[in-house]
Amino acid sequence: MREQLNELVRQAESDILACQNPNDVMNVKAQYLGKKSLLNGLFARLRELPPEERPAFGNQINESRNRIEALLEAQSTKVKEAAWNTREGGKATDMSMPGITSSRGGFHPLTIIRREIDDVFLSMGFEIAEGPDIEDDFHNFDALNTPADHPSRNLADTFYLEDGSLLRSQTSTVQIRVMESYPPPIRIISPGRCYRNDKPDPSHSPVFHQVEALVVDKGISLADMTDTLSQFASIMFGANVGSRIRPHFFPFTEPSAEMDISCVVCGGAGCRVCKHSGWLEMGGAGMVDPNVFKTLGIDSEIYTGFAFGLGIERIAMLKYNIPDMRILFENDLRMLRQFKGESR
Amino acid sequence: MKISLNWLAKYIDLPDSVTELEKLLTFAGIEVEGVKHIPALQESVFSARIVSAEADPKSDHLHCCKVDIGDYPYNDKTEDGLVQVICGAPNCHAGMMALIAMPGTVLPEFTIAKAKIRGVESHGMLCSEKELGISDNHAGIIELPEDTAIGLMANELYELPDTIFELEITPNRPDLLGYIGIARDLSAKLNIALRLPVIQIPEPKFPAGELPLTLVNEDTELCPRYTARLFRNVHITQSPLWLKRALIKSGLRPINNLVDITNFVLLEYGHPLHAFDYDKLAPLPSGDTHPAIVIRKAIAKEPIMALDGKSYNLDGDELVIADGEKASALAGVMGGNLSAISDSTTRIVLESAAFHPGSVRKTSYKHKISTDSSYRFERHLSDHATTNASLRATQLICELAQAELCEAVYDDWQKPTVALVLGIRPARYEQVIGYYLDGDTIKDYLEKLGLRFIQYGNWKPGAISDISEVYCHHGEEIKQGLTEFSEQPDCIHTLYFEIPTSRVDLEREIDLIEELARLDGYDKVPVKTLPGRIMDRHAYKTMRQITDYIVSRGCFETLNYSFTDPDTMAKLGFQESDPEMQMIRLRNPQSGTMSVMRTSLIPQLLQNLVYNLNRGERNVKLFELGKTYFKIAGKHSEPMHLSAIFTGLNREENWQDKSIQLGATTLKGILDELFLLLGVHNCACAPANRPFLNKQENASYTVYKQEVGYFGKLSATVAESFGIDLIELKQDLWILHLDVDNIVEITRNRKMKFSPIPRYPAVTRDISFLIADNVGYSEIEACVKGVDCSLIEEVKVFDEYRGKQIPAGHRSLSIHVKFQDTEKTLTDERIDHLVDLVKTKLTETWQINLR
Repeated sequence: MREQLNELVRQAESDILACQNPNDVMNVKAQYLGKKSLLNGLFARLRELPPEERPAFGNQINESRNRIEALLEAQSTKVKEAAWNTREGGKATDMSMPGITSSRGGFHPLTIIRREIDDVFLSMGFEIAEGPDIEDDFHNFDALNTPADHPSRNLADTFYLEDGSLLRSQTSTVQIRVMESYPPPIRIISPGRCYRNDKPDPSHSPVFHQVEALVVDKGISLADMTDTLSQFASIMFGANVGSRIRPHFFPFTEPSAEMDISCVVCGGAGCRVCKHSGWLEMGGAGMVDPNVFKTLGIDSEIYTGFAFGLGIERIAMLKYNIPDMRILFENDLRMLRQFKGESR
Repeated sequence: MKISLNWLAKYIDLPDSVTELEKLLTFAGIEVEGVKHIPALQESVFSARIVSAEADPKSDHLHCCKVDIGDYPYNDKTEDGLVQVICGAPNCHAGMMALIAMPGTVLPEFTIAKAKIRGVESHGMLCSEKELGISDNHAGIIELPEDTAIGLMANELYELPDTIFELEITPNRPDLLGYIGIARDLSAKLNIALRLPVIQIPEPKFPAGELPLTLVNEDTELCPRYTARLFRNVHITQSPLWLKRALIKSGLRPINNLVDITNFVLLEYGHPLHAFDYDKLAPLPSGDTHPAIVIRKAIAKEPIMALDGKSYNLDGDELVIADGEKASALAGVMGGNLSAISDSTTRIVLESAAFHPGSVRKTSYKHKISTDSSYRFERHLSDHATTNASLRATQLICELAQAELCEAVYDDWQKPTVALVLGIRPARYEQVIGYYLDGDTIKDYLEKLGLRFIQYGNWKPGAISDISEVYCHHGEEIKQGLTEFSEQPDCIHTLYFEIPTSRVDLEREIDLIEELARLDGYDKVPVKTLPGRIMDRHAYKTMRQITDYIVSRGCFETLNYSFTDPDTMAKLGFQESDPEMQMIRLRNPQSGTMSVMRTSLIPQLLQNLVYNLNRGERNVKLFELGKTYFKIAGKHSEPMHLSAIFTGLNREENWQDKSIQLGATTLKGILDELFLLLGVHNCACAPANRPFLNKQENASYTVYKQEVGYFGKLSATVAESFGIDLIELKQDLWILHLDVDNIVEITRNRKMKFSPIPRYPAVTRDISFLIADNVGYSEIEACVKGVDCSLIEEVKVFDEYRGKQIPAGHRSLSIHVKFQDTEKTLTDERIDHLVDLVKTKLTETWQINLR
């Protein structure tokens, strides 16, 4: 009887392993574990054994049964997995074939830079203010302390419209509009389009983009400005990029300055891009001239402020090494596609 | 902490309105958590004597009482001039003074009527505190002191009406844990006088030797001060009514006059006291036979039977007040049973002490005993405060228990806490709070709080140990703004105060600033305009969202000049009269092709397209977000547009899927999804009516009659005029346009509202039918939804077929109809019925063939 049992288990093992599909497994299970199975028959025959051997043999039958069950379970899982994988259409993919993408587009590099600037200043607690492109003399010149005979008012510099209005030559106009409508404290940047009567060439464009910053509050000093600038430069161009200001002249700031960042190409050692100075000019800056405040009815004894302006084209060209400003307005897809990875 | 406003009013004039007071306290930083009004009672509730109380033999608790109501007029008095009242209270007995509510009285919760209880008439009711609304106590009827006259109104006896405030005192303010503390804060807040109780203690009646006591303080760190006074001939009785009612309204139960007095002083001064039975204090094991009080750490495993009737095993860390042999009180937490005051007590020791807050907290936490006493001590009470508390209790004990005071005053006080001296600068106040408070106002407020003004001086940070170090100047000159000191702005602009030791929370200048801001009122703090009001955040975010989305759908962004060639608008087919043709001209353009401000972005996009087609691109999707420029009725406007141009494949070619040319459905899908994303709902579709679009395939989206966008196929003629030969290109050109300003405004105040998730499953059924081509799908969808809009949640087309089996001019459409009932599960029967209704409706409306 014992041999019979051993033979039975051996037979079951080979039958189970031979199963190719779930149906086979079901049949083998019925054959070996069903009501009329040989195993059950052995149970019935326990009585034939001497009573002292019965418990041990009973145990052996049970163990065999458990073993067969476990084998069936394992084979069933294996067979089901195989059945799913080899079903019609279930062929494995060549993993080296390219993935299917959704064909995203991308942003213009000037937008990418503008958004980056926006985010830097928003995180520093600035607001974004915008104003009209079509402006008047007051907001573009008078309120900015520009004398009536200043050369920048010439037709050769500023675009005028037939109705006498003009296209703003700087986004400082927005500063004036904000200070007209809101009392200090003010903390804004104003990004937008500006217009100057320059023929398109590698470093000029009649239409270009600027970001101006304006901070007016009690106790604002030039030190706040240099701090803001250096933070901006390091976030925009990298932690190791330094900044400095140099004395300059603008009608609407006093003291005025030009600001430079250390050359992003050579790191300050001197190269062709920075004309071997180690510094790149970024824009104009300074403390808001008391005359500007006076025009707007802000008490310059109580409030002080700083302002600076940055050219977005210039930042983009420096950051991406674009040699000619005109490329930015051609909208060539071969240029635009390059910035897909920068779009955010 | 519960406080009765009638009691509080004894120390300070309160505002007439309870709401006003509630607001005052709240803005002084004392939160009023609950307000309970105890209404006035009618005159028919008054004191009366129970002459007799016979137990009702048929009941286990009812008494039939004869009650003397004096000359109160009542028709149903018995022959002997009394009234009969049935009373069920366990404490009802003959001879007691009670409060009766006569028939007709309206009590807070019910109305008294003449009644028959078990066949016996009852004329009125003898009342409990709860029935009168005074407290929650319903254990028995009110027992008034025996000497109360008959006929006194309950209103007088209980000072009604009254209001009880439940106050939340923040843990930093232990000084507010008593009526006087609250009153002091209010007096500073309201700038009115505080009325402190006048304490006058009688002359001592006997020398120390007649009631000797041994006092040993073994732990002056945990017990920095211990005072004791002794009394004899103490009469332990009930407290007078005024004392009882004070405790009751503050939520305490009267016990006897002595315990009540200590509780009263606890509530009044916020300082807990304890009284021991002198005769129960054992002497020290060695030495004299005088009763002893020993302040010491407990011995490990030392037992104590506390006043709550429970026995505690101490572990040795607790500070206890012991006699010569055993612990008789857990210091600052709870007294012990053995030395407790009982009715037979005649000689007492009155303890008024200061305990270390941490030690009290530990003991209280370890043994899970929280008492009014531990609550206060663990918040840190001043050692100086013990004096007044002891004196006040002494006065009351002599007065109310007819006790004799001993000459001896025991006071173990090794190191009295030294009051801090702090400076405060008005200029600093302005710097921190935002407005100026002058020196006089500061002085006024802080002196009302109990701080003692010392002098003006120059600024020295921190607590001042020697005031002579402070450079001093006379205060008057400060007010006039001394010029001689102007070069030293800090100089003499400081006020110096001595801080009462009860104000453990005042340690630095900033604490004083907080006090002043709180008292002057946070409503005085000016609203400084902070940046944050200039930016149109919604517009900014919406524009970023739109362009992000358009880029995600495959478009590349272009940027073009704001000025353009005036001919291009005519090429688009606009007429002279169209606003798009009223372009603003430059006075000094660089060239004719840059001589006007653009009124549309589309011409430049077409030029960008041509540029790229010429360079071999075939699949081009470009957009620009930018301003256009108009002058209407003399005013400039610069509407923000987003225009896009599409041609070529729906998406980049790939090795797996068949690439298809993009078409109307692609563009429509882009717009539908964008509007879903932005929350632009209820779009209506209509023909776009643009001269440059193909007449058939175009659509305009409007919301509330405002156009938000349109799309359409570019007409071949217009394409030709821009130099694109569509026949040669073999691709359609598609234009998509968004009116960004309108979208920004429409979505500005949008609100998303969650709708509950349906509890019952939705069921979807499919219907297929043949229908003539001239019936638009939107009409079909509307028709189906019209059948039962409350149950049909969604109608969605999933197949369109035109082919051999379908007659010409027809198409086969298959739609999903999703049914959802929010009230119950939809049965098959009901759905079948609804589907039949839909089919009937469709067949009735059009010539259709169900499949």
